[in-house]
Amino acid sequence: MSAPASFTRRSGNLLLGLCYVLVVLFLFAPIVTSIVYAFNVGTLGKQTSTFTGWTLDWFASAWNNVSLRRAIGTSLVASFWAALIAVIVGTSLGFALVRHPSSTVRRLLSGLTYVLLIVPETVIGVSLLLFFAVTGLRLNLWTLVAGITPLGIAVTGLIVRAGVLTLDRQLEDAAADLGAGRWQAIWFVVLPHLAPAVLAGALMSYVFSFDNLVISSFLTTPSINTLPVYLYGSLQYGPSPAVYAAAASVFVFTIVLVGIAGLLYRLVLRRGAAQN
Amino acid sequence: MADTTTSVTLRPAGRHRAAGRALDHLFAGLPALWLLGVFLIPLGFTVVYSFGHSSFGGVKLGFSLDNYAQALSGFYLDSFLRTIRFAVSGCALCLLVAYPAALFIARQTGRLRTALLLLVLVPYFTSFLIRVMSWQILLARGGPIEFGLNLLYLHSGPLDVLDTQTAVFIGLVYAYLPIAVVPIYIVLIRIPPALLEASRDLGASAWQSFWHVTLPMSRPGLATAALLTGVPMLGELVIPALLGGDKGVLMGKAISQQYLATQNYALGSAMAVLVLIAVAVIVVLLVRLTRGFEETGR
Repeated sequence: MSAPASFTRRSGNLLLGLCYVLVVLFLFAPIVTSIVYAFNVGTLGKQTSTFTGWTLDWFASAWNNVSLRRAIGTSLVASFWAALIAVIVGTSLGFALVRHPSSTVRRLLSGLTYVLLIVPETVIGVSLLLFFAVTGLRLNLWTLVAGITPLGIAVTGLIVRAGVLTLDRQLEDAAADLGAGRWQAIWFVVLPHLAPAVLAGALMSYVFSFDNLVISSFLTTPSINTLPVYLYGSLQYGPSPAVYAAAASVFVFTIVLVGIAGLLYRLVLRRGAAQN
Repeated sequence: MADTTTSVTLRPAGRHRAAGRALDHLFAGLPALWLLGVFLIPLGFTVVYSFGHSSFGGVKLGFSLDNYAQALSGFYLDSFLRTIRFAVSGCALCLLVAYPAALFIARQTGRLRTALLLLVLVPYFTSFLIRVMSWQILLARGGPIEFGLNLLYLHSGPLDVLDTQTAVFIGLVYAYLPIAVVPIYIVLIRIPPALLEASRDLGASAWQSFWHVTLPMSRPGLATAALLTGVPMLGELVIPALLGGDKGVLMGKAISQQYLATQNYALGSAMAVLVLIAVAVIVVLLVRLTRGFEETGR
């Protein structure tokens, strides 16, 4: 009885392991491809699906492309402001999600947070476009920044919420007992404790805003174009490998930011574990 | 016990409590107001405009269901139904691929488990566009996948997958797979090992334990995964455009065309509201599926 059972169990595990390996290969194949094909020679300045040889020229050509460079500049600036707003608003959201005295308010806010995460971006994008068109606001950098903040706010809110849950409430009470006002308690006790969570939220907001394509594609104009929208546009008609070179550079940039955010988030969790 | 006594004696004075309450309202009010302005009010505009009359160069507000009648007939109805079918099958495929991977990760322990999870998760945080656009190369004629399949004798001759529905499904599963693995993994690691041991002691085979214990217990995770993958697929704009060619317009494209090309804001709004209704239906169905887990789960 037990020998065949353990045999099927072991072969089951082997099968699962195989599935996992296939999933990882599936997930990484396109990422590796996009980086390798940034070095592809291509033909007649266009990207080709057959690899035709190695070259570094496309990185130089991407760098020399003025509209590409301007798009990168816009992306860097717009996602900076979007992340800054998302961090301020999202931190305050994360705090209120746990600490607001009224449970109705907490429930409404958490409902709002989840709604933010499940409304399809296309719907958000067209709604913003309609809103700005009706109110007569001309599309500019600030309408773009405002439009891409909701995603970062939801993400920062959830990360900070996790941080606040690990925060010992008695610390604040102790601060109050020692004569600190609520502001002082938050500034000197709560915020330093939440710093890793807030920073992780800031980096994730930056990455999500930087990568945002769908909402941005409705809010960009010929003069204010972000990098993903520019790349998306150039993909419609046989892109040059320079597009892949730019994408590979962005990829490295994003991975570094995500890595730092991940380390910070681990710090948040470890602090929580140390206190419990 | 000790907790309550200390918090009673250390309760701050009344003056502080009033200031504290103002601060609490500030913390709740800031996100509420900001999101009202950049999210809820724009969505409200879409709902209001979906009932308006479209005329040349604008929309006359009013209450008419004409836009919904138009959005639910002919070409637009086709693309609405097609979108729902795509989202349902894409989401089912995604869960099917994600489940074994999540189960494998959950059966490991310690650092290995974390590392395996991270490996699946990292691609999700890299640029969506870059991940999807590479499939244009991978699936194209003369591309790496054609080469690989020919090498393994799994396929012969040129590969005609790019610009087909198959390519769109590959893209959909690919893009949302990492975010499907996580919720399934989270419920799987919470299943008490004692339950599986008990079922084994009672003579269940590995397959029977999986079918009668593990799978039913992972329902909430599957529901969350379905939500996180199915909902964005309903509005998907980029994947069909890059991998599906021009055949079979989905709602994402149909809506954006009403805004960017045809400029029929009223019709576009009605279609956007239909997508939101579909999202709400999915949420309600999934919540019902997991009902009863709040008390018994964990």
